[in-house]
Amino acid sequence: MQIKNSAVSMIIDAVDQKELEEIKLQFLGRSGKLTLTLKGITKIPVEKRSEVGKLANEVKKTIEETLEEKNSTLRSKFSSLKKQSIDTTAPGIKPAIGHLHPMTQVLSEVIDVFKQIGFQVADGPEIETDYYNFEALNIPKDHPARDTQQTLYLDTRNSKVNPGEIILRTQTSAMQGRIMEKVKPPVRVIVPGKNFRYEQVDSSHGFEFWQVEGFMVDTNVMLTDLFGTIEYVLQKLMGKNVKLKFTTTNFPFVEPGVDTYIECSICKGKGCSFCKQSGWSEIMPAGMIHPNVLKAAGYDSQKFSGFAFAIGLSRLVTLRYQMNDLRLLTNPDMRILNQF
Amino acid sequence: MLAPLSWLKEYIDITLAPKELGEKLTEVGLGCEKIIKTSDDIIFELEITPNRPDCLSIIGIAREIAAIENKKIKYPILKTNLKPKAKLLPLIIKTDPNINPRFTGIIIKGIKVGESPKWLKDKLKKMNQRPINNIVDITNYVMLELGNPIHAFDYDKIIGNMMTVSKTKGGEKFESVDDISYHLAKDAVVISDKEKIIDLCGIKGGKNSGTYEETKNILIRVPVEISSLTRRTSQALGLRSDASSIFERGVNTGGTIDALKRTVDLVLELAGGEIASDLYDIKEKDFKPWKLKLRIDRLNKILGIEIPIKKIMVILESLNLSPILTKNIIEATIPTYRQDLKIEEDLIEEIARIYNYNNFPKTLPVGEIPTIQVPYFKDYRLDEKIKNILQASGFSEIYTYSLIGEKDLPDGINSQDILRVDNPVSRDFEYLRPTLKINLLKALSQNKSNFENISLFELGKVYSGKNLDEAKEIYFLSGITNSKNFFEVKGLLEKIFEDIGINENPTKYIEILDKGIFFELNYSEILKNISASWRTNKVFKPLPKYPPIVEDLSIIATENAETTDIISEIKTQSPLIADVSLLDRFENSRTFHIIYQDKNKNLTGEEVAKIREKILKSLKGKFNVGLKE
Repeated sequence: MQIKNSAVSMIIDAVDQKELEEIKLQFLGRSGKLTLTLKGITKIPVEKRSEVGKLANEVKKTIEETLEEKNSTLRSKFSSLKKQSIDTTAPGIKPAIGHLHPMTQVLSEVIDVFKQIGFQVADGPEIETDYYNFEALNIPKDHPARDTQQTLYLDTRNSKVNPGEIILRTQTSAMQGRIMEKVKPPVRVIVPGKNFRYEQVDSSHGFEFWQVEGFMVDTNVMLTDLFGTIEYVLQKLMGKNVKLKFTTTNFPFVEPGVDTYIECSICKGKGCSFCKQSGWSEIMPAGMIHPNVLKAAGYDSQKFSGFAFAIGLSRLVTLRYQMNDLRLLTNPDMRILNQF
Repeated sequence: MLAPLSWLKEYIDITLAPKELGEKLTEVGLGCEKIIKTSDDIIFELEITPNRPDCLSIIGIAREIAAIENKKIKYPILKTNLKPKAKLLPLIIKTDPNINPRFTGIIIKGIKVGESPKWLKDKLKKMNQRPINNIVDITNYVMLELGNPIHAFDYDKIIGNMMTVSKTKGGEKFESVDDISYHLAKDAVVISDKEKIIDLCGIKGGKNSGTYEETKNILIRVPVEISSLTRRTSQALGLRSDASSIFERGVNTGGTIDALKRTVDLVLELAGGEIASDLYDIKEKDFKPWKLKLRIDRLNKILGIEIPIKKIMVILESLNLSPILTKNIIEATIPTYRQDLKIEEDLIEEIARIYNYNNFPKTLPVGEIPTIQVPYFKDYRLDEKIKNILQASGFSEIYTYSLIGEKDLPDGINSQDILRVDNPVSRDFEYLRPTLKINLLKALSQNKSNFENISLFELGKVYSGKNLDEAKEIYFLSGITNSKNFFEVKGLLEKIFEDIGINENPTKYIEILDKGIFFELNYSEILKNISASWRTNKVFKPLPKYPPIVEDLSIIATENAETTDIISEIKTQSPLIADVSLLDRFENSRTFHIIYQDKNKNLTGEEVAKIREKILKSLKGKFNVGLKE
């Protein structure tokens, strides 16, 4: 034990590798202290030999480990001294990894934020029936609200489908009916997905765009819950200081109907072509689910209430990164992708 | 809808600054898109939602301002009592309440058609309307003012003094006042005289019965049309008018008489003449205001705040809904111009929006968090995991359009065999993509001018099926690279498969193209095949207590012996072989790295030698392989 303690303290005090070498020789070398002790083991009574041998081996191990540790400390000290001879101000070499699309990055944040308040994630079809996209949402045929969502109809050639029955969904809200008719409240769900509209493309509109639909139904869901949820979500996504404004609007599947605007991040509220000079950008239409929608799904509209909303995901992404054109999101130019 | 400030001020006292007024209108639901300053006025451009046809009129917008400001509105004073002064002119009207619920009208004799006075022309111009003559201008003016569409017929052109409202059979010809000819579809509602169609109801008047300079006597008609019929015809013809927009959304059914009176007052004032018929008001229903109940506790429950009852009453009063409170239930009387107020929730919205959404407190939902897996559940963590591996391997992610053009289709894919949009926005976006390859190849070449090394992937839907009966949408995971070799791509897919617990050889998903290496996986199929426990099915294997013996075995094998077969053949020779991999390949020699491991004891050289012999023997038998000298 004495050998061990003195060896360890000497090692710790050593200032360079040369000294360390000497210590090693002094203890572990052919005529070193520990080696000699081991050689003298034959002088010890047989019954004690194994015990002493074991102890001696442990001491040897400790000394070796301490030596190695010290050695590596000295080595790195040495190399950090040497570092001064290379130009450390030159940029590092980054690993050659790729880039996840900003939509993916924001969507995974959105999912995360909603998970924290008990929302699950669902996924549904883009090729949709007129029923789920419109009728189950209190938008019968001939309803003028259909004008606000110009629809892309699918060609019915060689099929049994009646013209006009199968469309590309215009809104992820189409999933409200599909989900509600299969499950009883409480429901809390978000549905990210792509939508399609017959719309001329400009910087803030596209014929294909992403939304995150969300809704919850329970026995006691209130309009203040909707406002609170929207504020919570947008603060998480856009920062605590995000400026919000709620206005009245009309979608046949909600009553009361709410629209949510955030201050345009591109012009900071001054007005630009992206926000149509208003300084505000529509980001999250919402409302309390219309009793007719609850009834169509087989819910008792007197017992249950709910809210629904749709986040314009494409628009959220552009606002988040101050991209002034939605079309940048479908442009595969790596000069864009590499920024994310 | 345009709304000049000066015109609004005729009915309501406005003290708010234009910008503030615009913001308040937006908050209550009339989205103010623009405020236009002209030399003598300020014009608001408002977006009117489909449920508020009443706001397609200046008086309707003034009523909203009255509600916001809690002020009273001044309606225009109506003078005429609609009693005939002149000798009556005969007219027989045959109509059907099922297609024309209300026909309100009157005949005026001896008018003088001419230019409108300046004030009238100016007003129409501010509304982007072209002044035509005093009669047409008055009908347009009153529609813009009160919201009920009005049409004036030249009485003398109604052949046989007879008007019949009916539905078309289809194929009839109609020429509108603005000189355009239409072939009408079936079930358009029209008015005919003894010989011909003279009006396309709710949409446009006929050229053959309009008001022109020579017109002396007119029939003024203020109708209620059926929304769905108007909409269908308007859409079939691609013909919209201010009138059709109002009828489609639901006209003020109780407003026809006042609109007629207002029109008659102005005609008599600006064009002269005398009333020459009794009032026609043909209808089955009475079109009276209706009652709607609102339970205060229901209101509080839906809104989440308790607005004082006094405040609720003030709001309903300001909206002219005549509320009466008895025992926590309010009974409101809904004016006929508010066709959108039909259920209790509609009244709840009225109170909430005038109270102003921005004055509400904010709460987070309480209640049970659903724990049952939601229908259509999707595990996005799997997407994330796979995308992370791709990113780490140097691939960047793209999102591209689902819709592609016919010219994008590669050889071998016929446009007849893929799903098509009937009304594409353009020929470039007409078909649903059957593969992600098309857009990935485009993306590759697009980037070539700026980048040497390009590796891109997309996780998105493709659409299969030759027609809608077979239509399916499938998630594909595809990628392209011009800077990685086959084995790097294969290894990447192997890594993905390994991580999500799929035991499959990815070779069949990889395609070697001139431009690079491409892969495409049916991701939906993968989702189906992996169990929900992909994150939890990994089991830790305890570290071996005994050291392995590792050796490299170099053999000579013919070209056609496949490495994967040799490896599995080696593995089957002994349970003590823990792993086999190809270390090196040079000409016909291949070196395999073999790890022997016994869980229970130290392996000896003799044991390994025995296994090695067995390996060589079986390889020789199966593949005619020999040990490299």
